[in-house]
Amino acid sequence: MCNSLVSVYRSVLPSIRLISVIVLLSLPVGVIADSGDRDFDARKVIVDHVLDSYEWHLFDIGQHEFSIPLPVILIYEGKPYLFLSSRFHHGRQSYSGFAVGTEGRSRGRVIRVLDDGITPDPDASFIIDLSITKNVVAVFFSSALLCFLFVGIGKSYSRADIYSTPKGLPLFFEPLILFVRDQIAILAIGHDKYKIFMPYLLTVFFFIFLNNLLGLVPIFPGGANVTGNISVTFVLAMFTFFTTHWYANRTYWQHMFNTPGIPAFLKFPVPILPVIEMAGAFIKPFVLMIRLFANMTAGHMVILSLTSLIFVLGSVSILMGYAISPITVIFLIFLNFLKILVSFLQAYIFTLFSAFFFGMAVPKAGH
Amino acid sequence: MELLMPGLGLVFWMAVSFGFVLLILKKYAWKPILQVLNQREKQLAKSFSDARRIEYEMSQLATLKTTRVAEADQAAAEIIAEARAEAERIVAGAREKAKEEASSIASKTDELLEKYKKEAMQEIKGQLSTLSLEIAEKVLREEFSDRDRNLKYVSRLLDDVAIN
Repeated sequence: MCNSLVSVYRSVLPSIRLISVIVLLSLPVGVIADSGDRDFDARKVIVDHVLDSYEWHLFDIGQHEFSIPLPVILIYEGKPYLFLSSRFHHGRQSYSGFAVGTEGRSRGRVIRVLDDGITPDPDASFIIDLSITKNVVAVFFSSALLCFLFVGIGKSYSRADIYSTPKGLPLFFEPLILFVRDQIAILAIGHDKYKIFMPYLLTVFFFIFLNNLLGLVPIFPGGANVTGNISVTFVLAMFTFFTTHWYANRTYWQHMFNTPGIPAFLKFPVPILPVIEMAGAFIKPFVLMIRLFANMTAGHMVILSLTSLIFVLGSVSILMGYAISPITVIFLIFLNFLKILVSFLQAYIFTLFSAFFFGMAVPKAGH
Repeated sequence: MELLMPGLGLVFWMAVSFGFVLLILKKYAWKPILQVLNQREKQLAKSFSDARRIEYEMSQLATLKTTRVAEADQAAAEIIAEARAEAERIVAGAREKAKEEASSIASKTDELLEKYKKEAMQEIKGQLSTLSLEIAEKVLREEFSDRDRNLKYVSRLLDDVAIN
């Protein structure tokens, strides 16, 4: 009896230790929560974190914000404007008639303001905003990292004897490359034509996967919500859309405008089916765009919400902040592991669906 | 709502950098990697089919070997049996010949013996007659040397004749 209790204790000891460490490490979080301002607006914090930004916010000490200022590039009424985002003083000031919007559709975007520096100019024309925002920097960083990683791997492959076992990075990435080839490209497109789509599929897979993972890293240069930004997923979906239609063959177009095996009255004089087919061609990439964006943003929001919970409860009572922080941290650890899985899964799904669309674009004739 | 509005700047920069990444990786990463993977797979498939073919050939060779060995064994057995029969025949022939020779030698010997015996007998006979003549002569001479006894003997013979 006694022995069995001891053995049970011994078997759970590592997990007890782990949990104790987590609890102890998460206690200071409550202290930070206490040092913050009393009126904590969780919604604002969460949305600001998932949105793009003109500066790269690093951390706050007391009331002071530390962030990396990024270049703002604007073309307004034919005139270019170039200045650092530090001119906005974390969005609190205007600069030469421009300010960061706070409301509605223009929230977090540069808008034209009146002379008082706050009121949006109702007569303002469209601002072409090509600023190097946080997400642009993150895209540049991940692009550079991708090129650095895979060009290096490519070099090691062109040098290596083909019989040699891959070592180091190639050893890690080769199974993923084979996965994309065998489980995505060949599966969805078929043996005949998968090769022309391989570069795109591999690039899009690793781009999404890397950015998803970087989004989980809470410190610079990670932590930007790149793949949870609709602009990024929009561009990726457009690449899929254009690739699909660039390579689409005769059978695909015939299917769209004159679907075989369908009664003529559905095509003429009112082209019901062609319209549906054409709508489908746009809906497919649209769904790709929304799925990736929504999944990644939702994941970030859940993590941010759980983190905010400490601060919300901490602003009510310091004891509640202390009490909730270990539970939250345990949940956050679990969620981060889940997000690693989701990072892979979303990259896989985007790539797989792109491959399916390519497969539909290049069917064998008569299919 | 602000979450769902694509921003022009990010779309532009994203399209530019993704396009560049795609082009660079296509040329400098995916091409060599996929090429090597393809080559390796072809080599593997070839090695595999080679291995299978060689295995098949080996099994063919093994069956061939067993049949050849069996044939050779049989041939060897036949040769040995033949050789043994030949040897036996030779031995038997030799024995026969030896026997014949022996018997012929024996018969010749017999004949010779007979001949020598006859010749010996002949000679003995010849010498015997000479000897007996000589003996008889000597006896007679001896007999005739004693005149008195001969006379007595003749007189006794004559007495007998006279009685008759």
